[in-house]
Amino acid sequence: MIGLTHYLLLGTVVFCIGLFGVLSKRNAIAVLMSVELMLNAVNINFVAINKFITPNDVTGQLFSIFVIVVAAAEVAVGLALIISIYRHRKSVDLNDFNLLKW
Amino acid sequence: MLSDYSSIGIFLLLTISFPVIALVMAWMVRPKPKQTEEKLTTYECGVDTKGKTWIRFRVNYFLYALVFLAFDVETIFLFPWAVKFNSLGLFAFIEMVIFIAILVIGLWYAWREGALEWH
Amino acid sequence: MDFSLLTTEILVALIGLLVLVVGLVLPDRGKQLVGKLSLLALAIVLVYALIAFPREASYFNGIYQVDVFGNYFKILFLIAGILVMLSASKYIKRFAAKSSEFYGLMILATLGMMVLSASGDFITMYIGLELMTISFYILTAYLQSDKRSSEAGLKYLILGAISSAVLLFGMSLVYAMTGTTIISEIAGAWTMQPAMAAGLVMIIAGFAFKISVIPFHMWAPDIYQGAPIPVTTYLAVGSKAAAFAALVRVFMLAFPPGSISFNWNIILAVLAVLTMVIGNLIALTQKNVKRLLAYSSIAQAGYILVGLVAANTYGLKGVLFYAMLYVFSNTGAFAVATAVEVDAGSTDIDAFNGLAKRSPMLAAIMTVCMLSLAGIPPMAGFVGKFYLFSGAIQAGYLWVAIIGLVMSMVSVYYYLGVAKAMYIGVSIDENPIKLDVPAQMALWACLAGTLLIGIYPGPLSNFVQTAISMFL
Repeated sequence: MIGLTHYLLLGTVVFCIGLFGVLSKRNAIAVLMSVELMLNAVNINFVAINKFITPNDVTGQLFSIFVIVVAAAEVAVGLALIISIYRHRKSVDLNDFNLLKW
Repeated sequence: MLSDYSSIGIFLLLTISFPVIALVMAWMVRPKPKQTEEKLTTYECGVDTKGKTWIRFRVNYFLYALVFLAFDVETIFLFPWAVKFNSLGLFAFIEMVIFIAILVIGLWYAWREGALEWH
Repeated sequence: MDFSLLTTEILVALIGLLVLVVGLVLPDRGKQLVGKLSLLALAIVLVYALIAFPREASYFNGIYQVDVFGNYFKILFLIAGILVMLSASKYIKRFAAKSSEFYGLMILATLGMMVLSASGDFITMYIGLELMTISFYILTAYLQSDKRSSEAGLKYLILGAISSAVLLFGMSLVYAMTGTTIISEIAGAWTMQPAMAAGLVMIIAGFAFKISVIPFHMWAPDIYQGAPIPVTTYLAVGSKAAAFAALVRVFMLAFPPGSISFNWNIILAVLAVLTMVIGNLIALTQKNVKRLLAYSSIAQAGYILVGLVAANTYGLKGVLFYAMLYVFSNTGAFAVATAVEVDAGSTDIDAFNGLAKRSPMLAAIMTVCMLSLAGIPPMAGFVGKFYLFSGAIQAGYLWVAIIGLVMSMVSVYYYLGVAKAMYIGVSIDENPIKLDVPAQMALWACLAGTLLIGIYPGPLSNFVQTAISMFL
């Protein structure tokens, strides 16, 4: 039987893949994609928990809708920032853009 | 436990077998003429590609994409509202009008800023 | 449902949108008008918020709480917003055509803080948090001509997004264990299990990032230095206070101390001590006043956290009290730094040389504000630290209080380093720094706030006492 544990494990694995991507990628777009992965892992968690623990209300699903929307806004701002940095450096090549080291 | 996974397995086998069967059937029934140079070029109706396919897009393209992304995802809120429209009544309708009005201000801003113009 | 109690938030949202629209409609983006309009409007909202302070209500099954605690923080954010905008009036000229959006985003960030401090459940909390931080991402990258600004913006965005993802994952685990996201319902619904502990730790980590507690502070110095100074001020003062408001609400309502087997106080105590020690020690070595203030505000977050560690009357009173005086003292210090940067183009400590001769008033305000941050009586900081540390001693965290006291003494050294440059240093330029009227108003307000709260803390203390009554 596929139960809550499986979904939570899936969520955790996706979250960790995202975290790994954020920490290891040097490409700003790839980092943004990895962040999305982390947020989507949270969405998997919320929807699964909603289904298995509180099947009579929709709190978890609501939460994931909000997460999706806010994540989209976040990524839109992120891409806009990347564009503005490119314009500044007169370059659109992500590999030249290596100041993102922390 | 096992039966749950076996149903997934059967689905997996079915989905893989569909394209394989289709391709094998086509290979069996089709005529097999000798390969000529004309035969090996890009499909007759298509245009020959020029340059590499890995090209960079203009930055303006991203601006469209950004504006699209923001408004596209906001519509997610319209779905639950539309599904429950009859039982939610006037108050929810007014709320949704306010929500859309805020979005329209955003669109107006993007328009005035020239994000929708192609230079 | 009675929505009149939400007037403060609705007004702020309307003002934010109005400022954007005014910038679009008027020729030349209504440059002159927008600043005055938003300041005036916020001042009116502040008066309203003060009148509406004692009102309480709960919306949508408790997901949005209008209560004295939240109202206190709303007043704090409005004061901070007004002071920052006043002090920035000259600096904003650098944004040229983009000044109306600057005001709009500042106001929307304020709205986010308000929602964050009044949220009664995790969804509202997340929305408020993100409204605040997304506005700050844009504001941080606002100086388009400055490479460091846009880079700081991108850094803040990526690190901020990671921290909210961690926070959300923690929230999802708590939701899994309790079946609810409403904070007051969590209190009765949870049992201690490994997943619950993991969720709590992740929530602490997420908030610790927002209040820049060591070891989650790595973003703060870079972003504080790269961002335009007014944004840095608001980030240090407003965003931090908002995150503290949410942290206090979550931990005091959902996991009240004493009633549970999970001792979060000790985790926070370790974080607070680390923050106070490392923040102050790194601040000692700074040569740039902006960066020095960045590290000092990391250390200040440690002091405020001590109050939450204690989690008793004195401690919580200290948190709210300190957050308010921090608004005045820190904004004052940053406002002087803004004036110097506008004048000299740099915030290196050398730019402050001989400031006392050039503009005695600026130097005096800087000194008073810094002494307040260091906790020297009779400035406000002393009273705040008194509450915080006596709370910690009462709750049995004597060691935390002692470390806090020692580190406050250490901090005097680097604060006085700036004072030394201002009073003893020699400047080539002898001309006084010219200030415009709004900036002068902001400086005087900061000075008055810092001194008044320090000498006569009674009224604010009573105010704070009312605000925390719901937790005890």
